[in-house]
Amino acid sequence: MMPSRWLVSVVDDDESVRESLPDLLRQFGFAAEAFSSAEAFLASDVVSETSCLLLDVAMPGMSGPDLQQELTRRRWKIPIVFITAYGEGSVGPRLLARGAVRCLVKPFSEAALLEAVRAALGRPCSRPVTAT
Amino acid sequence: MTAQPATLNGGWTGFRAAVNGDDGAANTAATDLINLLDAVEVPIVALRRDLMIAGFNEAAADVLRLSPSDIGRASRDISVLAGVPRLEEQCSQVIASGVESRAEFRDGDRSFVIGISPFREGDRQVTAAVLTFTNVTAFRASIDQVIYERECTKAILNAVADPMVVLSADDRIQSGNRAFYAMFFELASLRTQLSEIVAGSHAYQRVEVDHVFPGEGQRTLILHARPLSLPGHPERRVLVTFEDITARKQSQVANDLRAIAERNDGLRRSEAFLAEAQRLSLTGSFSWRVATDELTWSDQLYRIFEFDPGMPVTLELIGTRIHPEDVPLLNDMIERARGAGTDFEYEHRLQMPDQSIKYLHMVAHGTRDEDGRLEYIGAVQDVTARRLSEQALGKAQSELARVARVTALSTLTASIAHEVNQPLSGIMTNASTCLRMLAADPPDVDGARETARRTIRDGDRASDVIARVRALFTNKESATESVDLNEATREVIALLLTELQRNRAWIQSELAHDLPAVTGDRVQLQQVILNLLRNACEAMVDVHDRPRRLLIRTEREDGDRVRVSVRDAGVGVDPQNMDKLLDAFYTTKTDGMGIGLSVSRSIIESHHGRLWAEPNDGPGATFSFSIPGDSESVYGRDTAMRPS
Repeated sequence: MMPSRWLVSVVDDDESVRESLPDLLRQFGFAAEAFSSAEAFLASDVVSETSCLLLDVAMPGMSGPDLQQELTRRRWKIPIVFITAYGEGSVGPRLLARGAVRCLVKPFSEAALLEAVRAALGRPCSRPVTAT
Repeated sequence: MTAQPATLNGGWTGFRAAVNGDDGAANTAATDLINLLDAVEVPIVALRRDLMIAGFNEAAADVLRLSPSDIGRASRDISVLAGVPRLEEQCSQVIASGVESRAEFRDGDRSFVIGISPFREGDRQVTAAVLTFTNVTAFRASIDQVIYERECTKAILNAVADPMVVLSADDRIQSGNRAFYAMFFELASLRTQLSEIVAGSHAYQRVEVDHVFPGEGQRTLILHARPLSLPGHPERRVLVTFEDITARKQSQVANDLRAIAERNDGLRRSEAFLAEAQRLSLTGSFSWRVATDELTWSDQLYRIFEFDPGMPVTLELIGTRIHPEDVPLLNDMIERARGAGTDFEYEHRLQMPDQSIKYLHMVAHGTRDEDGRLEYIGAVQDVTARRLSEQALGKAQSELARVARVTALSTLTASIAHEVNQPLSGIMTNASTCLRMLAADPPDVDGARETARRTIRDGDRASDVIARVRALFTNKESATESVDLNEATREVIALLLTELQRNRAWIQSELAHDLPAVTGDRVQLQQVILNLLRNACEAMVDVHDRPRRLLIRTEREDGDRVRVSVRDAGVGVDPQNMDKLLDAFYTTKTDGMGIGLSVSRSIIESHHGRLWAEPNDGPGATFSFSIPGDSESVYGRDTAMRPS
């Protein structure tokens, strides 16, 4: 059942994150894909292969929490690690309460990233039967 | 006249001839007499002893339709005379008795009274009857009219409820209406009054009389007496009408009693109200007779000053309660009041024995009595609570201003942190990647070089952010320079972009290509743009049913002015609140402080421009400012103003 390389998808409107994070994830041995918006990720063909989603909170258009809700609505169960540049505020606990695995505050360390992704991969991952 | 045998004269001639025989001198006299008779308008007919017509005059010929041929005919054969009943009989009696008689005769519409007189010969023997026909038609008609009028008047008077009576000089009843006779009024009991009334010389008299009616008790009557002037009756007549005012008088008494009771009650109530109102409103009242310094205080004023009720009040006593700092104020007030006599108003403090402070507000109204003596009536309100809350409010306002600044700062801090954290995140991730690539076996040098380059780029980005922030907040002196508002606007948008996105606001910018530069403080103007954008963003927080669209536009206006407007699709503003919007502390938002707009306005005004708000045609509002371009700028360094 376990794929040979875990696919970690990164969704963030910030270009430096999209450039840097997949490279680091690949260094860890994961496969990585980056998307500039939630809409682009939903439209892609990797949703069903994604084992962990690194998701920005604040994005123009569909936000990170919006995507989280949309996936729930579509019965996609993908473990999500939120990443946000807003350190303060109470958004983290709320996201965790809604099922997120971790909420990382930018800038985060390599260790924190690896711990969060591993925790996410430990979570069950499921998809609706009718989905492709 | 005999030479003219006129038909009618002939009749008289015949009559005369039959009576007297022919005679020359007498003939002339007879002719004159006949002419005289013809001139009389009253018809005259003479009947002989045998009741044959002996003669008639012209009026008779006309009225009785007689012709000369009727002379010698029996009266009964004359159709008109035949219609008068018993005429022949009466005539015979007159001739026989020599006593006059009368008959009535109607011919169509006309009425006549026939006078039947004996005609005596020289020997006093009655030889004929003379009938004179007096026309009484008009007379009879006027009598009928009088009767008709009298009946009408009688009917009216009898229908009147007030008794009326006409009295003669000796108090006898001449005439009365039905009500009078129904009253059973014993005139005898009023003999004295009636005599006075009738004898009175006044044109009109009114006498009130209490009269006891058997079985009815006492009633009050008003006797109205008017002298009557009756044509043809020189005797004194007095019309007396009786007006029964018993019921009216009783209800008037009842009303008077009720009114008095109500007045007393009302007075008691308003006194009670006044005392209660004074107590509730903490308002006391006083009067001050200036000449004698006589002071009268209401109970509430004693309570305010905390003096024992009823204690004699003097200006000296009042002075003991006045706050030492306000004593000169009081003295000044007293001096002015003594002279002026006009209304005045003062506010001063009291220092109570326990050292607590009271704030009093006094209003006084000056009046003068008939002798010109000045008296003030005034009200004194204890406004301590209001003054204290105003002070507290002032304190709260400055606290609020401080909080507003802190809040604005923390929002800004979060925004700056976000802007810096993004590239920092890139730097850390790239650095980690770089290290890992270098630590690989074999090291991925190209990859490491690429990530290192990206690290540097992110570092540049972070320092750009810091530079932008520094440009906005460096506390350098107001710098007057030529400013491109398009460029300034772009920088503000870049700084706010994340915050706008977080608020799901879509910002669209329409920046004019031909925008003139303005002269001013770049940082201050950017603060205004920042405020307007943030304000617009906050106005759309509760909008869920439409896009949170935000449009920032720069335009060139007439006369080289530059306008910057920010249009939102938010909750909008009430046109009535437009002016207040720009006041400090006024806000339509529940969590906004509104202070940003007032500071913005000061900045724009110091740039000789203006800031205003207007509702959109659709949802939301547009906030704009307009300032002069370089060519017409009057901006000078000395007029520059830093926002507080």
